[in-house]
Amino acid sequence: MTFAAAKFRKFLPAAMFAMVVEFLMELSSSVVCGNLIGEEGLSVVNLMQPAMGLVAFFALLTGTGTSVLYATEMGRFDRRRASELLTQGLWSALMFGGALALALALAREPACAAFGVSGSVLAGVREFWLWFLPCAALKPVMFFFVSMCYADGDDRICAYAYAVQLVGCCLLSVPLTMAFGFAGCAGGLGLWQLAALAVLVQHLRKKANSLKFVKHFSFGDTLRICRCSAGDASVKLCQAGLFLALNLYVVAHFGEGSLPVLAVVIAIFSMCEIFDGVGTAAQPLASVYIGERNDRLTRRIMVYAAKTAVWASVAMMLVLLAFPQLVVRLEGIREVALAAEARTAVRLASLSLPGLAMVMLLNSYYTFIAKEGLATTVTVLGTAAIPLALIMVAGLSESMAWTWAAIAAGPYLALAATMYLIKAKYGRANWPLFLSRPRERKQRVFDLKLDEQTICAVAAKIGKFLRICQGMNEKRAGLSSLLVEETLMTVKERNRGKKINAELTVDRNDSKELTITIRDDGEIFDITDADAAVNSLRLYLVANIMTALPARRNMTTTGFNRNCFKI
Amino acid sequence: MMEVKATKSGAQLTLAVKGRVDTTTAPDLSEALALDGISDLTLDLGEVDYMSSAGLRCLLTAQKTLAQHGGTMKLVHVGAVVREVLDMTGFSDFLTII
Repeated sequence: MTFAAAKFRKFLPAAMFAMVVEFLMELSSSVVCGNLIGEEGLSVVNLMQPAMGLVAFFALLTGTGTSVLYATEMGRFDRRRASELLTQGLWSALMFGGALALALALAREPACAAFGVSGSVLAGVREFWLWFLPCAALKPVMFFFVSMCYADGDDRICAYAYAVQLVGCCLLSVPLTMAFGFAGCAGGLGLWQLAALAVLVQHLRKKANSLKFVKHFSFGDTLRICRCSAGDASVKLCQAGLFLALNLYVVAHFGEGSLPVLAVVIAIFSMCEIFDGVGTAAQPLASVYIGERNDRLTRRIMVYAAKTAVWASVAMMLVLLAFPQLVVRLEGIREVALAAEARTAVRLASLSLPGLAMVMLLNSYYTFIAKEGLATTVTVLGTAAIPLALIMVAGLSESMAWTWAAIAAGPYLALAATMYLIKAKYGRANWPLFLSRPRERKQRVFDLKLDEQTICAVAAKIGKFLRICQGMNEKRAGLSSLLVEETLMTVKERNRGKKINAELTVDRNDSKELTITIRDDGEIFDITDADAAVNSLRLYLVANIMTALPARRNMTTTGFNRNCFKI
Repeated sequence: MMEVKATKSGAQLTLAVKGRVDTTTAPDLSEALALDGISDLTLDLGEVDYMSSAGLRCLLTAQKTLAQHGGTMKLVHVGAVVREVLDMTGFSDFLTII
C-alpha cells in the first residue's frame, strides 16, 4: 500500500464517522420528535431544516475554509501565515456564531408567517426555533475546532467529540424531549455542541499540537477564508434553499399532511453529507500536495477518493432500494398510506446518492484547488438549481412520485452540465481536474516500505534518473542519491521494528532547480537540523549533508514527517 | 550491485571495487577487507560511482585495523562523486588518497 493510500485509509474512517455523526445528528431531531411527538413533530423539524442548513453553512464556511488555507500554507512551509489564518478562523467562527443567533432571533416570526402552517405545528416551530438559538451560536466554533484538529492530524479527538454529540443527540435528547417537548430537543442540540467543544479544546494541550494562535485580526483573511470554502459550504445553503422550496411546494401542492413524506426525502438527500467525508479524508493530503504543486500525487489521492465515493454511495443506494422501510420506521411514520408513499419516496430519492457523492467530491476538490466558482457552480446545479427546475417540470403531473424522481435526476444532470461547462470554458487540456499530465513536469514519485534493499534501490534509481533522463552532472546526482539513502536509513533506524511507509518526490522545475521531498509516517523528528545530536557515522554524514544544503525544510504536517531539500 | 576483485602479494593487498557501495553492498566490501597478515592495502575506487556512510564505515574500520599494526592504506583513482563524500565528511584529511 502506498503512503498516500495508507494515509487516506487512516483518515477515511474518522472523516466518514464524523460525517455519519453529523448526518445522524441532523436526523436525530426528526427521529426523536417523530417518534416521541408523532407526525406533527416530524413536520415541525422539517420546517426547521432551512434554518439548520443556514447554521451549518456558516459553520462550514469558517471551519472548512480555515483548515484548507491552513493546510495549504503548511504545504508551503509558511507556519507564521498558517497561524494567522488559524487565529482569524477562530475570530470568524465567533463572529458568525453571534451574528447567526441574533439574525435567527429576529427572523423567527417572519419565517413562521411565511411557512403557511397553523395550530400546533406553528406553535411547535416557534418553540423549536427559540431553543435552537444557542446551537446556532455554538456550532461555527465547534466545527472550527473539529476541522482544525482534523487538519492537525488528531482524528481521534474528533471522533471523541462526535461520539459525545452522537450520544447527546440520540440518547440524552430522548428524556429531554419527553420532559420539555420541542424546547428539550432543540435546547439539547446546543448542550451537545458545548460538550463536544470541551473535548476538542483538549487537543491544544497535547504535545503533538501544532495549532498555535497568534496576535492577528484581519477582515481580509475572513473574506479569504469564506471565499475559499464558499463552494464547499454552499452545499448547506443550497440544501437550505431546496428544503425551504420543497416545504412550500409540498404544502401548496399536496397539503400539510404530506410533510412527513418530504421528511424522508430530505433525510435521503441529506445523506450526501456522509459522502462529503470522502473529500474530508482526502483534504489533508490533497491540500499538502497542491501546496507542493505535486500534480501526480494530487491526481492519485483524488482517484482514491472518487473510487471510495462511488463504492460507498452505490452500496448505500442498494441498501435503501432493498429496505426503504428502515428510514420510514426510523422517522416514526406509522400511518399506512403515508408509510407506503414514504417507501416509494425513499426508493426514488436513493437513486440520487451516487450522483450526489460525485457532486460533493468535485465540490471539495475545486475548493482545494481554489476554484471556488466551479465548486459553487457544481453544488448549486447539483443540489438546488437543477433539482428545483426538474421539480417544476414534474409539478405539471401533480404526482408526488415524479417530484422525487426529479430530485434524483438532478445531481446527474448537474455533473454532465458542469463537465460540459468546464470543457467549454477551459478547453480539453487538463480537463476536468486542472492537473498537468505527468510528462509535462519533470516529476517522479517513489513509494516505498522502509527496508534496506528498497531504500538502496530507490536511491540508485534516483541517481540514474537524474543523470540519464535529466542530464544532471554526476556530483549533483550522486549527492541526491546519497541524501535519499542516508535520510531514509536514518528514518528506518529511528523506527526499529515498525513498518514505515514513505513517499518521495523528485521534482526538477524549468529553471533546473531540483527539489526532493520525503514524507514518512514514522516517529516525528527533524532530520534537517544540522545541530542534532550525532552518535553514528550515518548521522555524522547526514549532518554534513544538511550543512552542505542551505535550502532544506522540515515540517510536521497532519501527523507525518515532511522533509524538503533543494539541491 | 558491487564487485570486488582482490589481488594479494605477500603482505600487500589490492582491492579493485566496482559499482555502488551502499548499505546493502557494504557488508560484501567489509568481508573482502580481511586484513590478517596485510600491512599494505590499496583500494582502487576508479569504478566506484557512489559511496554512502556504510562504505565510509568500511574504510574507517580498515584504516583503524591497519594503523593498529603499523600498516598503511591508500585509496587510488577516486572519482568525483566519492571524493565529494570524503571531502564533505573530512575523511580526505586523514586518509591517503592518491
